[in-house]
Amino acid sequence: MQRLILALLLVVPIAAQADLEISDAWINNLPASVPVRAGYLTLHNPTQQAVTIVGATSAGFAGVEIHRSVSQDGMLRMEAVPKLHIEAGATVRLAPGGLHLMMKQPAQPTSPGELYRITFEYADGSRQSLQIEVRK
Amino acid sequence: MNKSSIALVALVALVAGFSISWFVGSNKPVELEAGTWFGEQARALPQFELVDQNNQPLTRNSLKGKWNLLLFGYTHCPDICPIALQTLADMTKALDDPDVVDAVRVYFVSVDPERDTPEVLASYVSYFNPGFVGATAAMDKLQPLTRSLGIAHQFRNKTADNPAYDVDHSAAILLVNPAAEFAGLFGAPHDPLALARDMTRIVEYN
Repeated sequence: MQRLILALLLVVPIAAQADLEISDAWINNLPASVPVRAGYLTLHNPTQQAVTIVGATSAGFAGVEIHRSVSQDGMLRMEAVPKLHIEAGATVRLAPGGLHLMMKQPAQPTSPGELYRITFEYADGSRQSLQIEVRK
Repeated sequence: MNKSSIALVALVALVAGFSISWFVGSNKPVELEAGTWFGEQARALPQFELVDQNNQPLTRNSLKGKWNLLLFGYTHCPDICPIALQTLADMTKALDDPDVVDAVRVYFVSVDPERDTPEVLASYVSYFNPGFVGATAAMDKLQPLTRSLGIAHQFRNKTADNPAYDVDHSAAILLVNPAAEFAGLFGAPHDPLALARDMTRIVEYN
């Protein structure tokens, strides 16, 4: 019985929320003088239930947030998206000019070809990591 | 009046005529696929003085004689500005007529002069294309230019203890003709190949 509980403990956090399918992940490289980078990727939710991203981290950056570029009064501004909902079966693209990862203060200057690891935190407490490549 | 005097007068008139038609001709009708061409509605820019990435003055006169594409933004802008600058770099690469390449200048004007010093702008614009010009100025010196081009910009949450503030700003690419008149604009999102075709049309038709 103890073994079963242990096994469940090991399995449950992973199985609590099926993974999103993440593709086309890239960071737009910028010169070292700029302390921010934008990250882009495509999120597909193949499950039967909505998934909500409530946070993101990356070891190479002081902070990662989801932002959206919004056009208003003839200007573009950035607004934070603290919770990103992805409905069951839906695909959400983080792409230039719209939703993007706002990656703050890289610990080192970035260069094309480098790989960073980003971890998303979901509303149920589970996490998912992915690799994201720096491109020019 | 002898024959040589008549010939001289005729030559002067011809040259003057060409000069006038060259400036007037800057606004001949052109069909653009990616932007709006103002034609006869082109408006002269006011006097202004910015500082470029080499700490040299950039004035209305600096724009004369070239077709100028102006993008306004700030280097701490993660999404829109780098994509627009990359689009302009890709446009430049796509221009295959050397005369057109020579006739077109690209400017990135920062509306965030405190953080975007000439040194910061130098490394930033050259990252995209060594030929691009970066420029900025204090807000009161930027305003004559931004107002005349219809560029809106404002700081968001800029306080003494928030060095990571954003700057809301217009994302259009503005076209200034060789007479330093505001001659057209390209709205976002921008397509490098369409921009290259439009700039080729503009330079070759005028």
